[in-house]
Formats: sequence, structure tokens, C-alpha cells
Amino acid sequence: MTATRSNNGKESEPAARPGSIFRFLTSVRLAIVVLSLIAATSVLGSVIKQGGTEEEYLALYPEKTYHFIKLVGLDDAYHSPWFYFLLGVFALNLVLCTLQRIRRLAREKGAGKKSVPDVKALAAGGSGFTVPAGSREEIFRRLGGSYRKKPISDTAILYEKGSLSRYGVIVIHTSVLLILLGGLMGLLGGQKGFIVLHAGEETNSAMSRSRGQRAIPLGFTVRCKDFRVSFYPGGEPKEYASDIEIADAAGKVAKEGRIRVNEPLSYGGVRLYQSTYGMSNLFTFVVDGKRIVLGEQEVASAGKAPFMVARYAAEVHNFGPGVMVAYMDGQEPKTIWFLSKVEKMKTHMIEGSTVTLEKIDGKYYTGLEVARDPGVPVVLTGFGLMLLGLYITFFTFHRRIYVVDEGDRIIVAGAAPRNKEGFLEELKKLAEGLA
Amino acid sequence: MITHHTILGVATILYLALFFLHILYFATKKKGVVQAAWYCLWATFVIQTAGIGMRWVESYRLGIGHVPLSNYYESLIFFSWSISVLVIIMKRRLTYPAITFAAAAFSLVLMAYASLAPGVDKVIQPLIPALQSNWLHVHVITCFIAYAAFVVSFICGGLFFFGSGRVVPPADTLDDINYRSIIIGFSMLTSGILTGAVWAHYAWGSYWSWDPKETWSLITWIVYALVLHLRMTGGWRGRKTAILSIIGFASVVMTYFGVNFLLAGLHSYAT
Repeated sequence: MTATRSNNGKESEPAARPGSIFRFLTSVRLAIVVLSLIAATSVLGSVIKQGGTEEEYLALYPEKTYHFIKLVGLDDAYHSPWFYFLLGVFALNLVLCTLQRIRRLAREKGAGKKSVPDVKALAAGGSGFTVPAGSREEIFRRLGGSYRKKPISDTAILYEKGSLSRYGVIVIHTSVLLILLGGLMGLLGGQKGFIVLHAGEETNSAMSRSRGQRAIPLGFTVRCKDFRVSFYPGGEPKEYASDIEIADAAGKVAKEGRIRVNEPLSYGGVRLYQSTYGMSNLFTFVVDGKRIVLGEQEVASAGKAPFMVARYAAEVHNFGPGVMVAYMDGQEPKTIWFLSKVEKMKTHMIEGSTVTLEKIDGKYYTGLEVARDPGVPVVLTGFGLMLLGLYITFFTFHRRIYVVDEGDRIIVAGAAPRNKEGFLEELKKLAEGLA
Repeated sequence: MITHHTILGVATILYLALFFLHILYFATKKKGVVQAAWYCLWATFVIQTAGIGMRWVESYRLGIGHVPLSNYYESLIFFSWSISVLVIIMKRRLTYPAITFAAAAFSLVLMAYASLAPGVDKVIQPLIPALQSNWLHVHVITCFIAYAAFVVSFICGGLFFFGSGRVVPPADTLDDINYRSIIIGFSMLTSGILTGAVWAHYAWGSYWSWDPKETWSLITWIVYALVLHLRMTGGWRGRKTAILSIIGFASVVMTYFGVNFLLAGLHSYAT
């Protein structure tokens, strides 16, 4: 081969190249290399912190390592261009391998059905037996139950079983492709976000989980009518659930329901999941006689100068809960502590306004995960197909038994390329008790 | 009072007895001892099943009833139980005691670790909301049957290097049992990953989030997929398959133990 090629390299090369690239792309060797690389990337991705901030990386690794991680995209390995490239090559390889297998199976399909192999040799080799002609009916009866019968000639009949098994690999490979396709659909057409709501609050957008934290408009309004959490005697959460009302763009209530962990609510292709809950504090202030309620980081503009709830502490120097308020004294930022349990520390003057901390209330909020993923039905179909494919590939097997009538005796012989041992046991059972 | 801890303690002692029965056989080479070992395995299996059942019942008495498949301790117990189930199912092929010996050793170590290690919490804990799903059972059961099958595969891979005799099966037999374990393991692992993904879809809003446990289960899946492809298309047998099944098992160990201790993630119930 090499000699021929070097002799007339100029003519054969352009013709050989597409052929050899094609052969390479369809090869199992490529599949093995690509799968190994995908596994190796996954190992790195599980060991190296994913999606962290620069500070987090610098705390873990030396600066040079961090720059390398960033350069290669290992800080988001599963979404790096080269990981997508690997998945792309893998998918292409799988498509080509599968097409080739279908073609080969189609070519083989005819063989073995029209001609009878050398049953005497098969029987002599152990995968067959000979019985007197009298057992003919009994053999037909035993095989007739589960085997498909295909007469070949006047004296020879083919019994076949598990022929679907040969297509199992195609089913599995197709299912992998479907799952990849579904993943791609989710990547291109999917969105993920997060909603935080107190009971009574509503929103028409979700916060994106990806970097940048932009708001994703939902196209409908989510209102949290109620949120409840119950606990086990030991203090662990037992159940938490949100009563949700969804209003469409026109403001009409389109859906109502309770979202529990493991029980999402779906509306218009968007699913809402009970993800977390938590408690946040609401601070009631009286500013120059006016009562206002603030959350953390919220700014009040009721008094002469605006102030902000900067920080809450459950315990301030053993004086009970307190809240730090920030305001501007001219150009200078200042902070002051209000303590709800200490009379003297309840009221302060802020830029000429009398501000009193009346009370601090803890209030639960619900954290809902919001996801739109058009790929899910495709992925789930892939899952089903994969299990079906595995079952027919590994737990059924194809076998052919030929029953050849030789007048005074009958030769029963066959083959099962994928499970010789199981087939021989089956033959033994078939021959049991026959004279 | 007899609690499930007592019963599981008896099961652990029986695993120890099983272990020594095999050693007795290696010393005496008496056929009757092998038979006794099988009876012992049956007894162990029944007692251990009863222990798991009692823990289940006791959890209901505590008012936090759930199938005992929810924390690290329960998973260790179930892992050792799964190995015994698989050995019993494969009995007809496991005529050489080396495999059952190694399997008994595995079960014994898992049971002893579960009851003795200070880091393993043996108390019945209530189910956190994320685990309150019917997917829990099918997910955990498929995963641990897979792990158990990979243990058998690893044993076959390891025994390959010991040389066959009266105790260790010949290379062909080892290869055959290895292959059968891998197809059980691979199918069950696939079922485990897929049921886990469906469950994650309902619980977390995403069927795949590259959580370390998910990632390592995928790595394990790829390793065994490679083993199967190399076997079927490359004709890899014997030594090569043996080495591959040892590598595959290393990945299983990482998926089950390593991830819990070395990497942080969503699957933290199991620690």
C-alpha cells in the first residue's frame, strides 16, 4: 500500500484524502479518542472550581495557574468552545457510525434466510444435534412457542428469535444523539432564572443566574399568595411550598397552584420550581411621625435626608438585634446603629429628622427557580430510547436455528453470534428428552 | 430491646463468618465448606434484609417514615446488600470460591465501616424535602446494583492477575463473568443516571447541572462504554479487559466515596 502510494502519490493523494478522512470520522477509534477526551475534560471540570470569581480563583491557585485556567476556558469547562467541539465531533462520528451500521445490517439482512449453512458441521462443532425423524413434531412444538418460523425449502426450516437485538446498538446511538440534540435545543432556546418573593409580592421578571445578573422578562406576572414552611421536631425543614398565582400579560389570572419541592408548576413552556426559602428582615421606622417599612439595602426618602438600611445583626454586643443605617452628612458618608431592645438606641436624629426604629420583623421569602427548556421532551425521549436500546442489546440476543429434514433423521443446528454460551444452554434444553 | 442495629450487627458478624468459611476452604479444600459458605450467605442475606426492613419500620414509628435509602449509612448497608444479591443471582456462574470470597470481603468492609466509622451517622434522619420523591427509590436502587456489579467486575479483573487454580477461575471464565457484570452494571448505571436526571428535572429545574456526582457518574459511564466498545469492536479480552475493569472501578470509587469527601456539590446528603 505504502509503496503504491509513494510511486504515484500525485494522482492518488487527492482521491485518497477525502476517503481516509471519511474513514477516520466513521472509525470506532475516533469515538474512543473523543470519549476519552470528554471524560478527561469532565475530570478537570470536577476538580477545578467552575464559574467562580477572580478572587475565588486567586485564593485557590497561583496567579499563573489562574491565567492558564482562564485562557483554556477551564473555569467553565463544560461550556468552553473546545468542549463543544469535542461534542460536535462525537455527534458527527456517532451519526456516521450509525448510518454505516444500518447499511451493513441491510446488506446482511437477506443472507442466512435463503440458504442453509452446513448444519452437519455446526452439529459436529457442538452447536446442534441429530434426532430421529419421529421427534419432528415435538421439535416443531418446542420451537413454535417463541421462535419465528421461516420455511426455506421443502426440507429446511429456519427458526429465528431476537432478531431485534441487532438493532439495539442503533437504538442506543440514536438515543445519545437525541440527548445531545435536546441539550443543544436547551442551550439555544432555553433560559434559567431565579425569583425571590415574599408573600403578597409579585414580579414579571426573573434574575438570570449567569454572570451579569440581568433581568429576564417572563411575559406574565408571578404573584406569591402565600408561603409556608414546616419543620421536623429536630428543626430540619419538612416541607415548604408557595401558593402561586400567574396573571397573563393582560392581567387576567391564568393559573393558580401550589409549588412544592419536586412538584413544579408549568405555564406557557416555563416551569417554576420551589428551590429555596429564607428569612429576610423588615424594619419598621417612624420618620418624623410617618411610619415606613424597609427591607435590607432599601433606601428611605421620607425624612429630610435619605438613609439606607445597611446591615442587620441579630446580636449587637449583647444588646439584642440591631440595624446599621447609612446616610450622607453633607459629602461624608456616616453610619449609625439602631437597637430595637435598647430604649436609648431606638431613636436618633438623622440630618434634622427624628428617626425611630419601631420593630424588626422576620419574614419568610420563597426562592423559585424559573426554567424554560424546549429540549426537555427530546432529552426524555432519548432517555426512554436508551433504556430500550440497552435492554434489547444486552438482554436479548439473536439466534437462528435450522431444522433440516433428512428423511430418517432430523438435524437441528444453529448459531448465536453474540451469546454462544446462552445459546448452547438453550439447545441443550431443546434436545432434552428427545430420543 | 432488639433494634435494627442489633440485627445489622448480626449480619456483619455473619459476613465475618462467611469470610472465615472461605479461608477455611482455602486451607482444607473440602467441598462441604463451600456448601456451608453458600448457606451462610443465604442466612446473612435474610438477616440483613430483615435489618433493613426493621430500620424502615422503625422510621415510621418515629413519625419520619421513609425507605432506608437516604443517607450515607443507609447507602453503605444497601451497597453491601446489593453485592450479596448479585452474588446470589450469579450463583450458577460463581462456582469458584475466589469471587464469592472477595465479594464477602467487600460486604464485610462496607458493613464494618458503616457501623464503626465515627464519621458515619447511624441515626434515622427525616427526609429533607428534595428527597421526598418516588424517584429516590428507583434512582438509588439502580445506582447501587450498578456499583455492586462493578465490584464483581473489579474482582474478576483483579483475580486475573492471580493465576487460575482450584480457587481462582480460568481466564476465560473470569472474562465471561466480568463481561456479564459489566453489562448489568452499565445498564443499571445508565438507568441510575437517567432516573437521576429526570428527578433533577423535577426537583432542581435542570436535568443536568454538572454537579460533581453527576460528572463522575458520567465519567464512569464513559469508561465502561469504552470497555464495551473495545471489547466488541477491538476484541479486547483477558489482561486488557482486566486492567480496564480495575480503572472503571477506580472511577466508581471516586463517584461513590471520592466525590463526597473531596468535592462539594448538590449530592451532599450522602456524607
